[in-house]
Amino acid sequence: MKDFEYIDPGSLDDAVLLAGKEGWAETERRFIAGGQDLYAELKTGLVEAEGLVNLKALHANQLAGMGVLEEQGQDLYVGSLITLRQLERLEGDGAAQTLLREAAASVASPQVRTRATVGGNLCQRPRCLYYRRPELVCLKKGGFECFARSGHNKYNAILGGGPSYIVHPSDLAPALVALDAELYLHTPQGMRTLTVDDFYTLPESSDVTRETVAGPADVVTGVRTRLPSGPEWRATYVKFKERTGFDFALSAVALALAFDGRTVVDARLAFGGVAPKPWRVDDEATEPLLGLERGADGRRLQKVSRAVGDAALRWADPLEMNAYKVPLTKGLIHKAISNLISP
Amino acid sequence: MAEELKWPEGNVGRVLGRALPRVDGPDKVSGRAQYGHDKRFSGMVYAAFLTSPVPSATFELDPAVAFEVAGVVDAILVADGAVLYLGEPIAAVAAETPEAAAEAVARLGRAVKLTERPWAVDREQALDKGNKAGLGRQGNVGRERTRKRGDVLAARNTEFPRIAVSLEETYTVPVQHHACLEPHGMVVEYDGRDFARIHGSIQGTFALLDGPPEVLGLPAANIEGNVQHMGGGFGSKFGIGVEGRVACELAKRLKRSVHLFMDRETEFHASGNRSGNHATLRADVAADGRLITLTSDSDKLGGLSGGSYAWHPYMYAPEHSMVSQRSVHTNTDGNRAFRAPGHPQASFSIESLLDEAAYAVGQDLVEMRKRNLPVGDDVDAREVDDHATWHRHLERVATEIGWYEHPNRSAPGSASWLPDRPVAVGIGFGLSVWGGGGYPGNQVEVSLDRYGNVTAKVGTQDIGTGARTLVAMVVAEELGRDVDEIAAQIGSTQLGMGNVSGGSTTTACLVPAVKDAAAGLKRALLAKAADELGVEASTLELRVGGDVGRKDGGVALDWTRACQLLGAAGLTAHGVWQADLQASGVHGAQAAKVEVDLLTGRVQVLEMVCMQDCGLVVNRLTAQSQVQGAMVQALSYALFEERLIDSDLGARLNPNLEAYKLATMQSMPEMKVIFDDEDQRGVIGLGEPPAIPGAAAIANAVHNACGVRIRDLPLTPDKVLMGLEALRS
Repeated sequence: MKDFEYIDPGSLDDAVLLAGKEGWAETERRFIAGGQDLYAELKTGLVEAEGLVNLKALHANQLAGMGVLEEQGQDLYVGSLITLRQLERLEGDGAAQTLLREAAASVASPQVRTRATVGGNLCQRPRCLYYRRPELVCLKKGGFECFARSGHNKYNAILGGGPSYIVHPSDLAPALVALDAELYLHTPQGMRTLTVDDFYTLPESSDVTRETVAGPADVVTGVRTRLPSGPEWRATYVKFKERTGFDFALSAVALALAFDGRTVVDARLAFGGVAPKPWRVDDEATEPLLGLERGADGRRLQKVSRAVGDAALRWADPLEMNAYKVPLTKGLIHKAISNLISP
Repeated sequence: MAEELKWPEGNVGRVLGRALPRVDGPDKVSGRAQYGHDKRFSGMVYAAFLTSPVPSATFELDPAVAFEVAGVVDAILVADGAVLYLGEPIAAVAAETPEAAAEAVARLGRAVKLTERPWAVDREQALDKGNKAGLGRQGNVGRERTRKRGDVLAARNTEFPRIAVSLEETYTVPVQHHACLEPHGMVVEYDGRDFARIHGSIQGTFALLDGPPEVLGLPAANIEGNVQHMGGGFGSKFGIGVEGRVACELAKRLKRSVHLFMDRETEFHASGNRSGNHATLRADVAADGRLITLTSDSDKLGGLSGGSYAWHPYMYAPEHSMVSQRSVHTNTDGNRAFRAPGHPQASFSIESLLDEAAYAVGQDLVEMRKRNLPVGDDVDAREVDDHATWHRHLERVATEIGWYEHPNRSAPGSASWLPDRPVAVGIGFGLSVWGGGGYPGNQVEVSLDRYGNVTAKVGTQDIGTGARTLVAMVVAEELGRDVDEIAAQIGSTQLGMGNVSGGSTTTACLVPAVKDAAAGLKRALLAKAADELGVEASTLELRVGGDVGRKDGGVALDWTRACQLLGAAGLTAHGVWQADLQASGVHGAQAAKVEVDLLTGRVQVLEMVCMQDCGLVVNRLTAQSQVQGAMVQALSYALFEERLIDSDLGARLNPNLEAYKLATMQSMPEMKVIFDDEDQRGVIGLGEPPAIPGAAAIANAVHNACGVRIRDLPLTPDKVLMGLEALRS
C-alpha cells in the first residue's frame, strides 16, 4: 500500500473540490468514511490513492444531513454517515425500522458495524473472488473477461448477469429498494435525487467497472424510505450466508407487505446476493401475495410463496456452480412471507 | 534403586487427573504472553516474501530494484531462477518497517519477468495425458502401492451367494489449510556478534538449532532457540522452513535482528496443507452388513509432495480387501503433516461407504460398525482389546447422542419440506485409531532452593495444548505442593532436551521424564531430612504441603524447615523418559447430530459426542479442550474449508481468512467429551485422534437427516440444497 495524504475537508463543497480538483484521476483521491471496504482495497492493492478525503471530519453544520437519522412520518431518513451499529439499534416495528435494523444486523461483525457507514455500505465494491485478486485484471477492473463466468462462480449472479457476473454485496441496498427509498447525491453540479433502484446499474447497460451512477466526485448524503402511506406496512430481511458468522449473502430477501386489517394489499420484494445490483422484483411476481390473510395456514403460505418464487426467479439464468441460488432464494421468499404472515 | 514410579490409583491424584486451568492462561488472554511474532528488538528489520502468482515458471529478477523503495535495507533471491508451485517464494526483502517491506514486495512483483512452463493445479489436469508438467514417474503420477488381504476377485465368485449388495462410490475431499493463528516465521535476535537468539513459531524448540548454525555461521552453542508461546502448528511447523533460512541469511548479511513471518496469503500457499483426496471404493456386502470384499483406489493430492492417506480398510476388517494408493502431483505447495495425517480423509470415505452399505442392507449404523471391526486374528498386538474398546465407545456415544430414541434408525429422513417440517435432524458416527506414546529424549531438571522455590526446567515447547501446565502439575503431585508453587520453565534450547511435538507424543515423552526428575528430588529431600533426623530415609514420607512426615505418624520436619537444610546449593534432580509410565495405541468414537434446513440446505451441527481412551488424563480441562478443538477443526473441515485455485488461470482464489471460510462461534455445537477411565495404561497422547472422525460423522448425519449423501467435502449449502432438490424431483 502506498502512503497517502489524509485530508480533512472544511465543507462538503471543499471535499468535492479536493476530490475533484484539476488533474483529478481515479488513482489520486477518494472519499473515506468508515473505511471498511476502501482500506481493505488499498491494502490488497486493488486501488491506489494519493489522498483520502475524510468525510467524517466535516463539521456538524457542514454535513448536509449526512449525520442525521430521523423518522419522518412512517418513513425514515438515514444520513450516509450513520453507522450500521446505529441502524442495528433502531427501535420500532415500522417497515423501515425493521428492515434496516435486520439488514444492518446481518452484516459482518459488531466491530465492523461500529465503523461501517450507510454510505460506504451502499457504495462498497464486489466480493467476487476474481475481482478481489490483485493479480487478475478482470472485466470489472478494465480487463477483457469476466473470469467468474466460466470459473468458480458459486457466489456469482443468477439474475442480471453479463458481461460481468458479480453480485452486489450490500445488505442495506435491497432493504432500501424494498422500501421504495430515494437517495440523495451531492455532485459538483448540485444535489440529485434518485431512487435507490436507479442508483445502481447493471453491467450490460452502463460502465462495467462501476456498480452505481455515482461519479468519482459524487457523495451520497442520505437515503429516505418512501413507501406509500395509508396501509400498515410490515417488513422483514432474510439473509442467507454460507457461514452463519461474518459472511456475505449467498442470497437475501427483503420483503415489505402492506396490510389492510389482516389482508395484504401491496407488496415490495427485493433480492440481495443474486444479481449485480439489488434486484427489485416486479409487481407481477408479487401479485399472488395480494389478498393473503395474516395467520393463513402453512399450505396456503406454501402455495403463495411458490407462486411468488417461481415468478420472481423466472428469468434466473444460473452459471455452472450457482443453480442452487434459485431454490435457495425461493426458500428465503417463503421464510420472509412466513415471518410477516404467521400469527 | 528407588521404588517403582507409578501414576495415581484410578488415574486421579491430588492434582493429576483433575481439571485445572493452564498456568499461562492469564498471560495468554491478557496479551502478556509474547509469541514469536510479537518480538521487537532495537535495530530489527522486517522481512517479507515475493511469491509466485503462477504455478510454474522460470523468472528473471534483479532484486536490487527493491531499493527504489525508501527504507529497504536488503533484497535477495530465494528461488534459483525457477518456481515450481503456485505461491512459491521468489525473493525476500528486508526493510525498516513492515509497510516498506510490503511496498518493496509490490515493486519486485512489477519487475519480475515470469516465463510460464506447463503446469497442473488440479487432479484432472494432472491426469490429462497431454499435460507436460512432468511432476511424477509417469506424467504427474507417482508409483502405485497396493495392499491385499485375501482374494477380492475370487471372493466375488466364491462368496457370490452371500453378497446382498454391491456398491461403488467415489469420495473426494479438498485441500485444507492448517490456518494457524500465528503464521510460519521467526525473529532472529542478532547484532552481528557471536550470539543469536531465535524466537520461532515452531513445534520443536530444538529444531531451531537445525539449520541456523550453518546459515548464521555460528556454533550451535552460541545460538539459543526460544519458543515460549506459539500460535498453532498442527503438524506444519516441524522445521525452520524457507522462512527460517531466509530470516537467518538476512540477519547474517545485515548484522541486525530480522522479523520474518509469512502474511496470510503466503502462509496459505507455501507452508503446507492437508492433502486433498479422490478415492473410489467398492464393496460387496452380506445381508448382515459384513463386508465380504472391499476395494479402495485413492489418488493423494499433496501438490509437489506425496499426499497422505491412511491405508484402507482403516480400522475395519473386511474378509477380503485390495487397496491401492498413488500420488497425483500438481504445481502446488506440498502437503505436510496435519493433525492425524491422512486419517480424516480415509475416515470420510470408509465411514461414508459403511453407512451407505448399512442403509442398503438394512443394518443399524452402530451394529454395522461393530460387525466390521476386527476380531480374533485381526486384532493387532495392542495392549487392550481393540474390538471391545471400540464397541464400548460406540455404544456410549450412541446412547449419549440419543441414537436409540432416534426416529431414523433404519432409513434416512425424508427430503420433503413441509410447513410443519422445516428442518430435518440426523445422527451419524465415525471411529478413530491412533498410536501416540512417547520415546526417549526429554531431559528434565527439577530444583529446590532453601527458600522452598521449586523450578522445573525442560526445553520442550508448548504448542498450545498445555505442556507448561502439565510440567507444573506432575511436580506438584510428586512433592505435595500446589501447582502455583511450581515454576515451570520450558521453550529454550538452553534447558534440557525436549522432543519435537508430533504424532501425539509430546505428553508421553515429557510427563514420564518430569515425574522421574520430581521423584528424584523427593528422594534427595527425604535423604537430607533423614540425615538431619538421624533416621532411615525409608521411614519418611513427603506429605501434602511438602512436610516431611514419619511413616508411623507425626510431622518430622515441616516444608520450610526441610528446605532450610539445603543450604545455598539447594537440591537438583534430573529425570529422563520412563517407558513404564506410558503406552501407545488409542481408540475413539464420535457421534454427531445435525439439523438440515430443508429450504436452504444449511447444516447446523447441534451436538457432537466423543469418547476417547488416551491412558492417563493428566489434566482433564486441557484434555477436554484438546478434544473440543479437534472437533471444531473437523466440523470446520466438514462444513466450510476448501482451498480454491482457478484451474484455467492457475490463480489463487481464496488465500485469506474471508474467502477461505473457517467455522466461527455461531457454527459451534454442544460438544461432549467422555474419557475412557477404564484405561489405566499410563500416559499416551490425545492431540490427533479426536480430529479424525468428526467430518465423516457429520456427513453421515446429514444423510441420516434427509437422505442427501454428499461424497465431496465440504458440505456447503449449495451441495446439500441441490441434493435435496434432486431427491424431491
